[in-house]
Amino acid sequence: MTSTAQELHPAPVLEPGRTILELRGLEKRYPGTHALKPVNLAFKSGEIHAIVGENGAGKSTLIKLLTGVMPRTSGEVIWEGQPAALATPHEAMALGINAVHQEVVLCRHLTVAANMFLGEENSRFGILQQRAMVKEAQKIIDDLGFDLPAHVTLGDLTIGQQQLIAAARATVRGTKFLIFDEPTAYLTRKEADQLFTLIRRLKTEGVTIIYISHRMEEVFELADRVSVLRDGTLVGTRNIAETNDAELVKMMINRSIEQIYHKEHFTPGAAILESRNLSGKGFENVSMTVRAGEIVGLYGLIGAGRSEFVTTLYGRHRKSAGQILWEGKPVQINSEHDAIKLGMALAPESRRDQGLCLNLSVGLNLNLPIYKRISNNLLISNAQERTQADRQIADLRIKTPTRSALASSLSGGNQQKIVIGKWLAHGARLFIFDEPTVGVDVGTKAEIYRLFSVLLSKGAGIILISSYLPEVYELADTLHVFRRGKLVATHGFRTADHEEILTQALAEKQEKLGGQT
Amino acid sequence: MSTEAIAAEKPKRNYNALFGLTLLALLVLLWVILSLSTSSFASANNISNLLRQGSMIAILAVGQTFVIITGGIDLSVGAVVGFATVIAAMLINAGVPVFLAILITLLVGVAIGLFHGFGIVKMGLPPFIITLATLTSLRGIGLLMTNGNSISINNDAFQEFSRNSFLGVPNLFWMVILVGIPAYIFLHHSRWGRYLFSVGSNAEASRLSGVNVQRTIYMAYTLSGLCAAFVGVLLASRIGIGNPTQAEGWELQAIASSVIGGTSLFGAVGSVHGPLLGAFILATINNGANLLNVNAFWQRIITGALIIIIVYFDGLRRRGGK
Repeated sequence: MTSTAQELHPAPVLEPGRTILELRGLEKRYPGTHALKPVNLAFKSGEIHAIVGENGAGKSTLIKLLTGVMPRTSGEVIWEGQPAALATPHEAMALGINAVHQEVVLCRHLTVAANMFLGEENSRFGILQQRAMVKEAQKIIDDLGFDLPAHVTLGDLTIGQQQLIAAARATVRGTKFLIFDEPTAYLTRKEADQLFTLIRRLKTEGVTIIYISHRMEEVFELADRVSVLRDGTLVGTRNIAETNDAELVKMMINRSIEQIYHKEHFTPGAAILESRNLSGKGFENVSMTVRAGEIVGLYGLIGAGRSEFVTTLYGRHRKSAGQILWEGKPVQINSEHDAIKLGMALAPESRRDQGLCLNLSVGLNLNLPIYKRISNNLLISNAQERTQADRQIADLRIKTPTRSALASSLSGGNQQKIVIGKWLAHGARLFIFDEPTVGVDVGTKAEIYRLFSVLLSKGAGIILISSYLPEVYELADTLHVFRRGKLVATHGFRTADHEEILTQALAEKQEKLGGQT
Repeated sequence: MSTEAIAAEKPKRNYNALFGLTLLALLVLLWVILSLSTSSFASANNISNLLRQGSMIAILAVGQTFVIITGGIDLSVGAVVGFATVIAAMLINAGVPVFLAILITLLVGVAIGLFHGFGIVKMGLPPFIITLATLTSLRGIGLLMTNGNSISINNDAFQEFSRNSFLGVPNLFWMVILVGIPAYIFLHHSRWGRYLFSVGSNAEASRLSGVNVQRTIYMAYTLSGLCAAFVGVLLASRIGIGNPTQAEGWELQAIASSVIGGTSLFGAVGSVHGPLLGAFILATINNGANLLNVNAFWQRIITGALIIIIVYFDGLRRRGGK
């Protein structure tokens, strides 16, 4: 595969095509989750190797193992013929393994030059050679063809420019193996092109590139080979010339879904919530209805505006235009408090940051929204506090030794159940689930889906946000596709196929290209 | 409730109770050692004195604990105590009835607490900064008001209160009980207490659960200010003067008492009985060191070492317990 590169660039630093890194049965288990099942894979020097897969497929676990951020559970990593422990990030860097992350992990308050040389400062007699470093950094940046100044504060650059600096930084450190994790998520087309130029150039120098992306067209534009991960398993590796979009998508999402997705159909009742031409930060002109007994799925890429839309419904952000109707009546929702009073419940995307008080007891978490109800003006009724918590624990089969156990000691799925349980107790009618099964194993997923049916049977409506297509596809009675802040398509239960929906969600790129050139 | 549910409650209760008992045992142990090694420790006079010494820090520590549970810190309490002695002294000397003077002083404490809440919630200042700012400026305002002089309080009844006892127990210690019992009920048996914990654990999750986070923060600092002003009244009664430089460094003693009593500076962990015991352990060490003629400088070193030891072992056990 690397033969073209060899012909075009006659003087590679490393011999291309040689195996530089080999994974033998590399495996990672977390308590309750098998994040990466034994993977055997060999990376060649001077290749661009794309890794694709849905969220939770094990991509980030693989990166963390390769960069020494996390220890592996078992298996071997062979680096240039020698077994490598990869126990610390430092060890990985010393070998020449670097990563450029989706989020920029640099010091925003320091200058571009200071960031480029962070940890390897140029100093004489203990005094930093600031001017020399700026000069050198500028030379590197210019060489790479980025039109950026080296003396400014990093935080003054756009996120995309910062990403380019992060990439430039990774190239100056004797890197032989460079991992890009969704690098173009925040880049404009022009910046992405600059990055691709850099990646191709690194390839000619014999650097191995791991390119992780959701965007199929980038994979086909750049990669020599592509590996597909699904549910922690390496499904297969293909030469890019011998595969196509449809095959990769199929490899990514094909699974025995019937066992997991438990779907009961209820006759939808009256409308609970209606959004009419709602606009706000990150989305515009969205109209939809959620009725009792139905699941409304919102599908789209991260950043497509789905989360922004629901947090606006929930009173977190102000709407800029449009109308919200609750049970047929127009309402003003100015705060979460208003939304909760109406009967909305939000199970947020980030359980750890937004959903739970982790270092407090399960019982307190379950009762948090209802303390007003289970206390008189002054005192909490201890008996009610206990019965309410125990009832939710029993109803939802939350696996916890006692209601006094700390929420942090529970598994991800059981934590998710606490989030649901606290709203059940509160008697909410509309449940918003934002990525409810991220980081949750298959068994718990199935249990969470069963909970959806329980909620629906009680006359509730559900908004389900997911970036995992099979999830919304198999569960949603109505499926709305979001792209760049707009609702671009609406389907009924299984009325469209995966490819069609994926295309609608991904079409962004072509649009962007057309718009900018 | 079924017996099962009662059994289920055990682990956490046990842990809290165990830690409380450990502190109590430590306190009793100190008392036994001091009774045996000095002739004067066990005297009624000395015990009363010890209770008086510990009482004021204990009340400060309770207010401080509310703030620390929310994940904040109140550095101003010592300055508020000094400032409150000035307010109380001036009002009483101006002929304001004592009960009214006390009430106004307490309201000043409330106002200072509300100001802290305002700075944190509305201006977005870190608790450390806003309370540090009041710490220095309150001392300054007090000095301006008094021209740097002490104000002698000319009201004997007011001063006698702190010297007298009721049922053989110093009045000042009764004040600890007067504050401690409502504080206990508030923290452990009211929803506002639960909200203090939940905000300290995860403010965002609490907000999304409908908890009024801003009001909770206002409440914590207001209660701390109120406790501090109350201590100011007690101190004015005890020393008979109003002086803005009094109670220097008491905020650190209050924080130390709270931490020794098991409060986590990261928030969401704490109790009322812990800081109370912590305050009396500190008072006992100081008292004992005096009686044993230990160099006063050593007392500070011992206090520091004790903080490190207790917090270290508590942290070990918390981690090990998981």
